[in-house]
Amino acid sequence: MSYWTAFILTLFSPVIGGFIYGLERIVRARMQGRVGPPLLQPFYDFFKLMDKRSIIIHSFHAFMGVMYLIGTWFALFVLLSGGDLLIAIFFHVLSLAFLVVGGFSVRSPYSVIGAMRELLHMVAYEPLYVLSAAALYLVTGTFQVSGILRSEHVPLIYLPLLFTAVLFSLPAILKKSPFDTAEAHQEIIGGPEIEYSGKFYEAVYTAKWIEYVYAFFFIFLFAGGNHILGALLIIFAFFFFNLLDNVTARVNFRQMVAFHWYILIPLAVINLMLIALWRS
Amino acid sequence: MDFRKFRKRSPWILHYNTGSCNGCDIEILACLAPKYDVERFGILNRGNPKQSDILLVTGPVTKRAKERLLRLYFEMPEPKVVVAVGACACSGGVFRHMYNVENGVDKVIPVDVYVPGCAARPEAIIDGIVRALEILKEKGKEVELPHWCSAQVKPPVNRVKLLDRCLEELHGRR
Ligand code: SF4
Repeated sequence: MSYWTAFILTLFSPVIGGFIYGLERIVRARMQGRVGPPLLQPFYDFFKLMDKRSIIIHSFHAFMGVMYLIGTWFALFVLLSGGDLLIAIFFHVLSLAFLVVGGFSVRSPYSVIGAMRELLHMVAYEPLYVLSAAALYLVTGTFQVSGILRSEHVPLIYLPLLFTAVLFSLPAILKKSPFDTAEAHQEIIGGPEIEYSGKFYEAVYTAKWIEYVYAFFFIFLFAGGNHILGALLIIFAFFFFNLLDNVTARVNFRQMVAFHWYILIPLAVINLMLIALWRS
Repeated sequence: MDFRKFRKRSPWILHYNTGSCNGCDIEILACLAPKYDVERFGILNRGNPKQSDILLVTGPVTKRAKERLLRLYFEMPEPKVVVAVGACACSGGVFRHMYNVENGVDKVIPVDVYVPGCAARPEAIIDGIVRALEILKEKGKEVELPHWCSAQVKPPVNRVKLLDRCLEELHGRR
C-alpha cells in the first residue's frame, strides 16, 4: 500500500471505527433482546458533543486528551502504511500513557483510580502484543506490516495458541467486560475519561473508535497474505468479543492481570517455543 | 453546519436521587431495560455530569441533597435541561412540608419539564424526555444559573467561583 492510500485510510479510520462501534451497539442490544440504537448513533453523539460547551479542568489535562487521539491515530498510520509492527505497538503504548498522565493530573479520585487501572491493563495485555509481533516475525521473517501482508505463509496455522490468547485479550485492549476495570462505567464512571467534556471528550471518544480499527487490524495480520481469511477472522473476532462482553461480569484487576500472566502469556510463549523448536 | 438537530438524537442522561423512596428510580431504570429500551433513541445513562445533557431528578430534595444537586447542576456543561420525575420532585409529594425537605426540585435549580405521578410511569418519563428534547433543541450555550442566584457571569467563565457564590446564597437563604 502506498503512503497516500495509507494516509487517506488513516484519515477516514474514525469513520470506519465509528461504524464498527455502531454495529457493536446494535449487536449488543440484539443479544440482550433489545432493538438498539441506529447504526449512525456514534456519529450523532459525535456531532452533538461538537455543540456542547467544554469545561476545562486545566489546559494540560485537556491537551493530554487530544494527544491520546493523535497518538492512537499515529499508531494506526504506522500499521496501515506498512511500517514496523513494534513501532506501532510503541506508539499505542505512548498514546495510552498520555491518557494515564491526563488521568493522574486531576484531583478526581475516579480519574486517578482509572488511570492506575489503565496502567494495569497495559501491564496485562501489551506483552501479548509484543510476543505476537515476535511470532509474526518468526513465521513471516519480517517485522514490516507490508511484508506480513504479502507473505505466502498464513501465520494462523503456525500460531493457533497465540491467536487464541490475543482473542481472549481483545476485551482488555478495547475495555469491554470481563476486562473493563479501567473504564468500569458503573463504579468509576469511565475512569481516566471522566473529567473530559465537550470537544475534549470527543477526542477521547474518537480515539476509542480508532482503537477498534487498530485492534482488528492486528487480528487481520494473523491471516498473512490471505486477505479473505483475514476478513473472516475479523468478523469472527467481532462476534466473539461481543458475546464475551455480554455473557461475562467484570473481574477485578488482580484476576485480570493473573489471567493474562498465568494463562494467556504462557500460552503464547509455548506457541513461540514450539515454532522455534520445529524450525531448528 | 447546524449541529442543533443532533441534540435530539443523542441525549445522554444523568440521574440523581435527592432522597426519593426509590419508586421513581426503578421506573427510570425500567425505561432503560429491554421492554422500553430507550437506547433506541440514542438515550444513554452516563452517570457523569460532565458528559450529560439531561438531568433526571427524583425525590423531594432533602436538606443534605440540595448542595449536591446544585453542584451537579453546575458540573453539567450547557446546553442542558432538567426533568423533575415524580410527584416528589415536582412539588414535594407525600413529603411536602416536612421539616427536612425543600418541597421540590425547582426550589433549588430551574426545572424545564415536570413529570407527574407517584411513581411516574415509564411511558410518562419517556414522554417527559421527548418534551425536554424539544426544549434542549432551542437552548443556547450561555452559562445558566439558578433563578435565585444573583452572581454575574463574565467571560472567562470560572464555574468554581460561580458555584461558591451560589452555595453561599443557598446556605444564607434560611
Ligand atoms: S413520587 Fe412517589 S414513587 Fe416517586 S419518589 Fe416520590 S414517593 Fe416515591
